[in-house]
Amino acid sequence: MKFNYQPEKCIGCHLCELACSGHKEGQFNPGLARLQVISCYRSDTLVNEARLCDLCLNCVEVCPTGAILSGEQGLTLDRDQCTSCGTCVEACPTGVLRADKEGFPLLCDGCQGNPRCVNWCPHGALTAREVN
Amino acid sequence: MPGYQGKILRINLTAGSSVVEKLNPKWAGLFLGGKGLGIKYLYEELAPGIDALAPDNKLILITGPFTGTVVPCSGKLSIVTKSPGTGTILDCSIGGTAAVELKRAGYDAVIIEGKAAEPVYLWIEDNRVEIKNAGECRGLGCHATENKLKEAHGEDSSVLSIGPAGENMVSFACISSELYRQAGRGGVGAVMGSKNLKAVAVRGTGGVLAADAAKLMDVAYNAFKNDLLTDTNLWAYTDGTPMLVELSQTTGILPTNNFQQGTFDAFNQIKSESVAAVRTAKKGCTSCGLGCGNFVRAGRSAVEGPEYETLSIAGSNCGIGSLEAIVEFNRLCDDLGLDTISAGGVTAFAMELTEKGIHDFGIRFGDVEKYLQVPGLIAAGDGLGKELARGVRALAQIYGGQDYAMQVKGLEFPGYDPRGSWGMGLAFATAPRGACHMSAWPAADEAYGELDPFTIEGKAGLVKDLQHYNAAKFSLILCDFWALSFDVMAEMLAALLGREITAGDLELAGERIFNLARLFNIREGFSSQDDVLPQRIYSQPLPSGATAGKTLPEADFKNMLAQYYSLRGWDESGQPGQDKLNLLGLR
Ligand code: SF4
Repeated sequence: MKFNYQPEKCIGCHLCELACSGHKEGQFNPGLARLQVISCYRSDTLVNEARLCDLCLNCVEVCPTGAILSGEQGLTLDRDQCTSCGTCVEACPTGVLRADKEGFPLLCDGCQGNPRCVNWCPHGALTAREVN
Repeated sequence: MPGYQGKILRINLTAGSSVVEKLNPKWAGLFLGGKGLGIKYLYEELAPGIDALAPDNKLILITGPFTGTVVPCSGKLSIVTKSPGTGTILDCSIGGTAAVELKRAGYDAVIIEGKAAEPVYLWIEDNRVEIKNAGECRGLGCHATENKLKEAHGEDSSVLSIGPAGENMVSFACISSELYRQAGRGGVGAVMGSKNLKAVAVRGTGGVLAADAAKLMDVAYNAFKNDLLTDTNLWAYTDGTPMLVELSQTTGILPTNNFQQGTFDAFNQIKSESVAAVRTAKKGCTSCGLGCGNFVRAGRSAVEGPEYETLSIAGSNCGIGSLEAIVEFNRLCDDLGLDTISAGGVTAFAMELTEKGIHDFGIRFGDVEKYLQVPGLIAAGDGLGKELARGVRALAQIYGGQDYAMQVKGLEFPGYDPRGSWGMGLAFATAPRGACHMSAWPAADEAYGELDPFTIEGKAGLVKDLQHYNAAKFSLILCDFWALSFDVMAEMLAALLGREITAGDLELAGERIFNLARLFNIREGFSSQDDVLPQRIYSQPLPSGATAGKTLPEADFKNMLAQYYSLRGWDESGQPGQDKLNLLGLR
């Protein structure tokens, strides 16, 4: 699942992050979301930016224990293999990948084909398409 | 405690101390959060009769149970205090990001007491609470203050600040956040200034829990898709509040030249299409699915706005038809920390006093150049500004013009002429904070809707019900612009809290909250004597448009008011009866 973000359609509501964390973590906390949106005024101009997993698979490659698995919809973690070393987080080129409190990377699995961030985006700023 | 963090942060600025207290769970059950719970805390903690600008007054920043969750349109903060402009209870709400940051920091509310010796600001980051020197921000506008504090604490922090108007305790100074969002009315910014508190900066890293997050997501998603994102509400996205300019013009309730007219010749220049023509972006608050904010660029000026209240009260009502000028007036007020409604209202009043030859303030309807000097003069308390900073009621007491001093209880009128929407007259007269469109907005049903605007028939019940609806909604807190039913609110709250909640429970909570606000005002000496409208509304017919020849005759108004008291279970002096108080659990 690949995501596309159109900043001119974004209203900065952060519903995508709230929905993502609610679905994946069972609590509403943008800090635990698999994507990040920045929407603020910088010198009289509205700036909208998003960090999204673009499935570059760098994290998969650098993981020393092979704990990150790349599947049809996105990435999943084998928690038994993960040592919370943080190599993947450092290697993420967009900076979207963050770790939770225990050091496990918050990987995006595209909600197994039903991405909540896209569902909740009110005016079509976020879209997704299937990839092979 | 799902939906709540269970914690209140209490700051004493005199002592320079802060403590964390447990949220009173019983009160949270009865008064929900936001507006209602804030009023409850203030009612219990404030001694009657104190000076609103004295250290004894308290400033309560309070979130609601939905704040910080995925429930759409819930990212608002209530600010509750005693108003320096009116002496009544005052609650305002503000959007942006502050409410969610505060809740994520782990608090349902902050109660600010006392007065700092020097200008300070509050920095809250989860458990870390610091009262910091604000010397460097002294005298700065809200925009510069916010930018400075975000530089210090990160772009992802949220800042609530006051401008020079708040520092100088102008009675209609506001609190600003995210540059263009305001807690506007009644002088919340002056209370903050009286405490030497220049700003509150906050960032949280925590989350909000629901009894059943998956269930809440299902229920809220259904409401989001099938209720929120429908034609009933999407005007907020396509147009935003400027949409009301043309509606008001057609129905003859567009305040013009200090309510001397209900239609404005140059309305085309300030209507929604004209605002949309200079719009460069849309913006919403955290968790908002609508995005009512219009970021516009007109001439040299840029602002998120202007909203209908500004276009009407600070536009047509001042005889100003230049959108560029209104945008600049709006930007100035935002930055200086002034409520655009009261600033516009007092300007219009001074214009009429000048034109009538009662007192020469040197400013006339449509005088753009003078008009644009007003916000700066008011904020600084210079010359003409020192006079206007008093507000409409005080200005009338000094110079005259009582009959057309457009205020109730000291709060200036918003943008709806009650002569063309009689229920609005009742709403203005009975709103706890004075002439206010946020307590009830019957204009939607009468002037803009299907009901006959020129009758009192059914209006007492309509206003009463709307007051309960808004009281409950603004306590949860949900945005005004989502016209959802009590049923949908109850369904979402039940999923959040994990217990049964009915529409009837919420309606009763709304009535309880509204009555408690009334009790606060009664304790401050208010009565039916204060539930009145300016003489102009009763006896001066509007001259043009759909309202030509119309007034809201005093006899009709009094009749409507009596019906309203009786429906409410209040006596003739406007005092809630024992039976009602028992029913609501307020005794
Ligand atoms: S949900 Fe859509 S509009 Fe809202 S912040 Fe995310 S990308 Fe932007």
